[in-house]
Amino acid sequence: MGQRIYRWLDERLKLGPVRIALLDEPIPGGASWIYVFGSITLFFFVLQMVTGMFLAIYYSPSTEHAHVSIQYIMDEVAFGSFIRGLHHWGASAMMVAIGLHILQVFLYGAYKRPRELLWIVGVVLFLLTLAFGFSGYLLPWDQRAYWATQVGINMVGTLPVIGDVLVRIIRGGQSLGAMTLTRFFALHTLFLPWLLMGLVVLHLFILRRVGPAGPWDEEQAARVREPFWPKQVTMDAVAIGVAFVIIGTLALLAPAPLSDPADPSDNTFTPVPEWYFLFYYQLLQYLEGHWEIVGTLVLPILFFLFLFLLPWLDRRKERRPFSRPVVMSAGAGFLVLVFTLLSISIREVASIPKVDPSVHRGKALYQELDCSGCHRIHGKGEAFAPDLSYIGDLRDRVWLIRHFKDPQAIVPTSDMPEYGLNEQELDDLTNYMLTLKR
Amino acid sequence: MNASQGEGRRTFLGWVSGAIAGAIGLVVGIPLVGYTILPALKRRQPEWNDVGNVESLQPGIPKEMACIHSITDGWQKTTTKKSIWVVRNDTGTITAYSPICTHLGCGYRWEADQQKFHCPCHHSFFSLDGTVISGPAPRPLDTLPSKIENGRLLVIYTEFKAGTASKIEL
Repeated sequence: MGQRIYRWLDERLKLGPVRIALLDEPIPGGASWIYVFGSITLFFFVLQMVTGMFLAIYYSPSTEHAHVSIQYIMDEVAFGSFIRGLHHWGASAMMVAIGLHILQVFLYGAYKRPRELLWIVGVVLFLLTLAFGFSGYLLPWDQRAYWATQVGINMVGTLPVIGDVLVRIIRGGQSLGAMTLTRFFALHTLFLPWLLMGLVVLHLFILRRVGPAGPWDEEQAARVREPFWPKQVTMDAVAIGVAFVIIGTLALLAPAPLSDPADPSDNTFTPVPEWYFLFYYQLLQYLEGHWEIVGTLVLPILFFLFLFLLPWLDRRKERRPFSRPVVMSAGAGFLVLVFTLLSISIREVASIPKVDPSVHRGKALYQELDCSGCHRIHGKGEAFAPDLSYIGDLRDRVWLIRHFKDPQAIVPTSDMPEYGLNEQELDDLTNYMLTLKR
Repeated sequence: MNASQGEGRRTFLGWVSGAIAGAIGLVVGIPLVGYTILPALKRRQPEWNDVGNVESLQPGIPKEMACIHSITDGWQKTTTKKSIWVVRNDTGTITAYSPICTHLGCGYRWEADQQKFHCPCHHSFFSLDGTVISGPAPRPLDTLPSKIENGRLLVIYTEFKAGTASKIEL
């Protein structure tokens, strides 16, 4: 049956040359599992595109509706949580895949002449992938999204001369808001996908023209030459299958997170970037004051300059890793640094005290009961009743609970209504009040 | 390996690749289809809307009353004001009519001097009990589910298909 369909199409499209071009690529040294990472990266890009498109059916890129539209996807749309999960974990998977792909190319010296162009296009693809990660992160418009983007954009602001203008352009205005969200949405779903698709096609075209580098051992490379199909295709398919099973399982068992809606006035929130930016976030913690610019400008520029110029920095024909000690040490050093920073960062993030759930509930109750209609906390609310900013210093638990139960019994002139709170609500609200200290 | 063994192996590998691609396609594709169409096919839960106090309503005099109709549109809840016609029958019971003419969907009005409901678009006339007196309307005025609680009228605002002989809920 498949044969008949193929023959029908072949008669009308002359598929022979296409088939040869796509599948007959000779791999020096033969197929290998080490070459699968490029295909895995491409697969995840396609997965992101597909899941992303479908997420856009329900997502609304406005500051008023972004969060609630994602809640809708998670709670009410059939398979919504799964599709969003695939997109969330797929993003991480793509970062891992592209990292491994770069590592493999780096190790094999496959960036050397005549593959410099292939490498350059690859570095640009890497930059675009990072841009995808950064722009997509803002879209849920939750606390994590808002504050992480705020920090990221402020880092751009530290650049000398052009920093402020650049920040205005990225942000779309004077503050992080509606203009930023639509800008990032357009970038993430329209500009970047077209750019990436175009460059992926170019990347694959160049690869096909120049051919894969194959093993660093010239003897081994010459010994065998296998076409892409079927062995490498199958290895790629199996690797993709395994990667997909992992991501699919995560999507089912660990739903994508959604923190509270973005609240620009709540600066107690500790923003944490996505894990693939964590090492950099940690590095910046060590560079304060004058040294900050080393982290926000100098090091990133040096890093990407190194990447772009690598084929010319490492010009010798030699591709064996052990015969390229400088480059290999630089690479190894970089990996050690990144992983060390990442582990420190993970430990630190894990040790941030989580908000006591009771305090969290108490805070929500305060908002639900509209206490700010009479009370003020740090300038927010009305001034008809006592200011509660430091109430935790002034009153103790016993007083607070008695007062909630019957305000007039404790303060005869009080206008505060009795809310009829149950034991847990009294406890939660009191716990929240007790955190309001100097 | 001889040629036919090689051929067999190539076919097997091809089958493996195809199977993996197919499996991924199904695991992603089926949820995507459900994701796209199932929410669109969901029907809204009917809600009772408080229209107002009807104790003072006199028999034979229809009253136009406002109904705050809330629609949950995916993640967005919107409220719109609809007006409905409310009539107290001779028996004392209350009937609530949809304000939409059963002909082609215009809004009709009560002509007190003629004691008839009249639709200005194509001149259908209806009596107090909703029956068609004259004009192109294919069926009587559509009644809305209603109940009285504590003297207040509650209705479920419903929309019906225009132009059909039988009452079909949209």
